[in-house]
Amino acid sequence: MNMNEILTIAFMMLFVPVLGLFFMGLERKITARIHNRIGPPVYQQFVDVMKLFSKRENISHSWVFDIGPIFAVVGVLATMLFIPMGGFPMLSFHGDLIVIMYLMVISGLGMALGAGASGNPNAGIGVMRSLVLMMAYELPFVLTLLSVMLYYNTTSLGEIVAKQGETGWGILALPLSALVADLCLQGQFGEKPFDQPVAPHEVATGPMVEYGGKHLGMLFLWHAIAVVMEGSLFVSLFLGGAIFFDPSTITGMVLNLLLWIVLVFMMFFIAILINGVMLRFRIGQAFAFYWKWPTVLAIIALAYVMVVSAW
Amino acid sequence: MVDENNTNEQATDINAPADNPVMVEYVQQQGDADMIKFGAAARWATKKSLWMVHFCTGCGGIEMSPLMTSRYDMERFGMHSMVTPRQSDILLITGYVNIKTLKRIIRTYDQMLDPKYVIAFGSCPVNGGPYWDSHVTINHLDKYIPVDLYIAGCMPRPQAITRAFTALMDMIQEGKADGYLRYKKNLEKYRANQEKLMRKWW
Amino acid sequence: MSEEVFARKISEFPGSEVKILRKGQIAVKVPNEKGHDAAVFLKKMGFIHLASIEYVDWIKDNEFELVYNLWSYRHRLTVFLKVRIPRENPNYITFMDIWPIAQTHEREAHEMMGIVFEGNPELTPFILEDWDAPPPMRKDFDPKKYVREKYDSIPFVEEEK
Repeated sequence: MNMNEILTIAFMMLFVPVLGLFFMGLERKITARIHNRIGPPVYQQFVDVMKLFSKRENISHSWVFDIGPIFAVVGVLATMLFIPMGGFPMLSFHGDLIVIMYLMVISGLGMALGAGASGNPNAGIGVMRSLVLMMAYELPFVLTLLSVMLYYNTTSLGEIVAKQGETGWGILALPLSALVADLCLQGQFGEKPFDQPVAPHEVATGPMVEYGGKHLGMLFLWHAIAVVMEGSLFVSLFLGGAIFFDPSTITGMVLNLLLWIVLVFMMFFIAILINGVMLRFRIGQAFAFYWKWPTVLAIIALAYVMVVSAW
Repeated sequence: MVDENNTNEQATDINAPADNPVMVEYVQQQGDADMIKFGAAARWATKKSLWMVHFCTGCGGIEMSPLMTSRYDMERFGMHSMVTPRQSDILLITGYVNIKTLKRIIRTYDQMLDPKYVIAFGSCPVNGGPYWDSHVTINHLDKYIPVDLYIAGCMPRPQAITRAFTALMDMIQEGKADGYLRYKKNLEKYRANQEKLMRKWW
Repeated sequence: MSEEVFARKISEFPGSEVKILRKGQIAVKVPNEKGHDAAVFLKKMGFIHLASIEYVDWIKDNEFELVYNLWSYRHRLTVFLKVRIPRENPNYITFMDIWPIAQTHEREAHEMMGIVFEGNPELTPFILEDWDAPPPMRKDFDPKKYVREKYDSIPFVEEEK
């Protein structure tokens, strides 16, 4: 680990929350335009976070309640360190895809711990829904990851990105897996029709119901980082890590970074468009959906990869 | 750790001098020490993103529907509605208030975090309106919770409400919207008034 | 079937006075003790829906009047069954065995007028909270005096606002 890598990681850890908040602001603007109204300015989420951190009071139920948002932010930052972002391979090593699959669950569980300590029954219902939804989309997602790992014959995300640079992007080689991964991405982002955990009208925003002020500011940062992290996981798996230009020159690195921003936002843009026009499923319907067609398609994709890679 | 509802024991005067030990404890409890330096920036951020509680208390709630949706969009000011009082800054009292609703309004107002603002719609919170001689509606809302801004009318149209929101934003920027500070300062008097009406809380 | 036909059929009930108010509405006045039997009689005739129980305060006659608003789906007619009870110690029999929904309406009449219904298991307050005065819908209740005593006597918190 030389100075360059440390600087890249530090830069990314500061840049990703800013980018995530900007994406969330763009989401509100695009949703407003879909609804035929003006909408807030695109820097609105920064103002929201500033306001939340400047609240003069703090309500706390116990120390477990305080730890919840910290757990969520730390979990998602730790996951972010292993995903190649912006054309830079971060801390990737042999077998890190499996580590990522585990780390992605930590932030949700931490929030569940904190929300359970609040004592509000709405929080309990929201936490139960979020865990059920996670169980639902993990199955097709893991099958898709298995098919990708089999195709490229490695479990390291950095090597997958490197191999896509030679043989072409994954979305052209494994289109079915990419489709299943995009369906699971809709649940990971928490956009309709899969935003059951944070359903404002049904469970009063679920786990976030008792959080206010500075805790809520941390939860906004959590959502911002999570959006960028999940989008860039998809980009690394199927869109070649957005490495198109030669990364050894400065202009190449900058252009790769810009292309990565554009591609991650494109995945989020598809989610925003679906979010603007759809309603929310019931949690039973969401579970049944994820374990039906996406799982079947993922199994077909896995079988296809096993056949192809046996040659 | 701060206790649950910080408005009971430590009702202190925020204008007390800084070497007063009570004031020091208040500041440390609230986590205010760094934010005092950033006063103007914090006020700008507060005014640009006010969140209201989605609790339409009376007949003026009908005017909230065009205000919150595409017709007279309120989200362009950064405002949108939140479902719990813990996450919101503004409480809108839309119309008349009877004793049953007043009990719930006081509980909601107590749960909101500082800084918090109250806007009262219509002529009923001002002096009773058309229900001034009814045996269940209260006539002056200001005796029970502090009100920052009144909007006249029965019911005020969304254009008037939008004008009130921009007026409240100006008041916040200048530091004049101090309802929550008045509540903390005169807490005994407000509670005495509230206790005269409610025989039992729950 | 028309109102005249029904008016003739209802006036076969002993002691009743029938009057046609307007198209679709008939008013039937029965003596106090025959109210329950009249209700059963009307329900058998087809007026199966109890819309509400209204209460009128005839302070000059020193009586309360209970009006039962009955509706028939089949014939599209309303019948107002009117019963008078004395104003001192007002109590009446409950109609819950004919229409179970009468329990809620009688609860409201008890709270607003002070009429006690024998046989109603739950006559607890549910509209007014923390009420500490005589029943408010009586004509001898003065709301302006009540408001002046209760609400206007509460002082403002800060005098200059």
